[in-house]
Amino acid sequence: MATNQFVISIMSSDRVGIVSDVASQISALQGDIADLSQTVLRGYFTMILMATFPEATTTAAIKAQLTAISAPDAPALEVTVLPVGASALREEAVAPENIYILTASGGDRIGFVATVASFCAKNAINIRDLATSVSAGQYSMVLQVDLSRCASVRSIQRELKLFAQQHEIQLVLQHNDIFQAIHEINMPG
Amino acid sequence: MIRSDQILDTVAMIQKENLDVRAVTLGLDLLDCRGATVHETCSRIQAKIRRFGAGLVPTCQALAEKYCIPVINKRMAVTPIAHVCAGFDRAGFIAVAHALNDAASEIGIDFIGGFSANVEGGLTPASRALIAAMPTALVATQKVCASINVGSTRYGINMDAIVLLGQTIKALAEASPDTGGFAAAKFVIFTNQPNDNPFMAGAIHGLGQPEAVINVGVSGPGVIARALERRLEQAGATQLGLHDLADEIKRAAFRVTRAGELMGKRVAEALNIPFGVVDVSLAPTPAVGDSVGEILKILGVDAIGAPGSTAIVALLNDAVKKGGSFASQSVGGLSGAFIPVCEDRELANAVRDGSLVLEKLEAMTSVCSVGLDMIAIPGSVDAATIAAIIADEMVIGMINNKTTAVRLIPVPGKEAGDFVAFGGLFGESAILPVRNAGQSARFVNFGGRIPAPIHSLRN
Repeated sequence: MATNQFVISIMSSDRVGIVSDVASQISALQGDIADLSQTVLRGYFTMILMATFPEATTTAAIKAQLTAISAPDAPALEVTVLPVGASALREEAVAPENIYILTASGGDRIGFVATVASFCAKNAINIRDLATSVSAGQYSMVLQVDLSRCASVRSIQRELKLFAQQHEIQLVLQHNDIFQAIHEINMPG
Repeated sequence: MIRSDQILDTVAMIQKENLDVRAVTLGLDLLDCRGATVHETCSRIQAKIRRFGAGLVPTCQALAEKYCIPVINKRMAVTPIAHVCAGFDRAGFIAVAHALNDAASEIGIDFIGGFSANVEGGLTPASRALIAAMPTALVATQKVCASINVGSTRYGINMDAIVLLGQTIKALAEASPDTGGFAAAKFVIFTNQPNDNPFMAGAIHGLGQPEAVINVGVSGPGVIARALERRLEQAGATQLGLHDLADEIKRAAFRVTRAGELMGKRVAEALNIPFGVVDVSLAPTPAVGDSVGEILKILGVDAIGAPGSTAIVALLNDAVKKGGSFASQSVGGLSGAFIPVCEDRELANAVRDGSLVLEKLEAMTSVCSVGLDMIAIPGSVDAATIAAIIADEMVIGMINNKTTAVRLIPVPGKEAGDFVAFGGLFGESAILPVRNAGQSARFVNFGGRIPAPIHSLRN
């Protein structure tokens, strides 16, 4: 049976049963969920997933099915549905060699994330995962980054030091294996 | 995915708490280097050190850069030279020390250990010649470290050797008066010397080891101290028992050991040499915040050496081993908390202030690693008294089935309370008084051997 692939994102204020509702509606359309990631940030729920549907299924039909989900006292879900070309489904594997953790901390201010992210962008550092938090006026960012496009760790470290001084942000780049070794039972391979 | 708060803790550990790999030590067998002459033997030893060791420093540097964890010391440990060069005379052993020193300089390592002999059951002509060569060899070279094993739980203690080594320590110090007797800091005497210890001055590549092996010494007093402070601050001292603090030490030791294990394995892979052991010793440096003495204070004695100090060291030593042994595939070497006086700022301060004395240090070494280490004593202390101090420390190891060691520096021309500085990781200290000096000659002069202990009736 020919299929179509879609990426679907859902956003809503958090409540019990969102994942159940969304997954049921996708099943009702004969959709098959592949990868899914969901998180809740300060009471807001967000989820991104990949699913394949029978060929005849349209973007509009999926969106209609999911927006129709209702719960007492809860607004409708914000739903985005995009068809995906086969090429976009390629999983880009990064060698564990090149995965580093960048941490940034400093006084909370407008543009903190933008400043750190601009450093990454300028130096061909790809951000794979990012979490930030604010506590007592201190802003902290933890980024899992891929350095496979960078020429050398040494030059990145040098740039990082300069950048940190210029912007009064503490920036530390460490290899991901260190964190795995220190925090997990299994040693990195 | 590792949680953000864990990541931030670890970053703090690396950036602020002096987490490093203290030593990567390449152990190398030299038994196949024996040639027909001293010259030929020296050439073979140097060729082999070059062949196996040339990559050590660049590899450690590259990996330290990649993982952003410094490797402080790059070292080699070789087969005890008395085995390799049996039959050589004193001059021959001195020539070998120079050959080791030159090869070590060439490949850029910090130290090379193994100018050593095992004399637990008696002295051979080779071990006598090596000991006789020691003052000249250690003064004339920079990187060579010497050690002698004088006893073991199985075979007892060679008192004749201890008498000789008491004189040797004096000779070493007197031959290097300009550096405060520093040559003596490159020599250590053991009971139950381990064959796989990566720490100097006592590193050797013992018999029974593979052709080459990478052993790693981790760091950590700073990490342990900060972990304890955080725990005390979060929970409040009144809410915590010593078992809670021991548990905190265990966790911190686990993390420190894991970092060492990772680096050691990566170095070994890169050099294509088998990975041996992680030595989970808590080795201090003179840097502020990297002190074992500081941990004692955090754990509740206001002056190091006060009653309670021995109990704290015992708790610390055991918790470090427990945390470290699960973290590593194989733990070996000395593995415990070191209390080297000159190398630890807080211990050195305690000696200066008079709270820490030789007798208390001796008591503490009965429950921790590794012995009376890096202790500056007056240059006037006689050889027989030094031999008697060695004997006291050696029996602690023999009776308790553990490694003990003595590294004393009788600083020429200085008396108790004076000050000596050795520089770098060797640190500085006030001269520790030796009470009752000159009262032990009759005991020492008996010589002979102290028999091995019985293994039942344990009291």
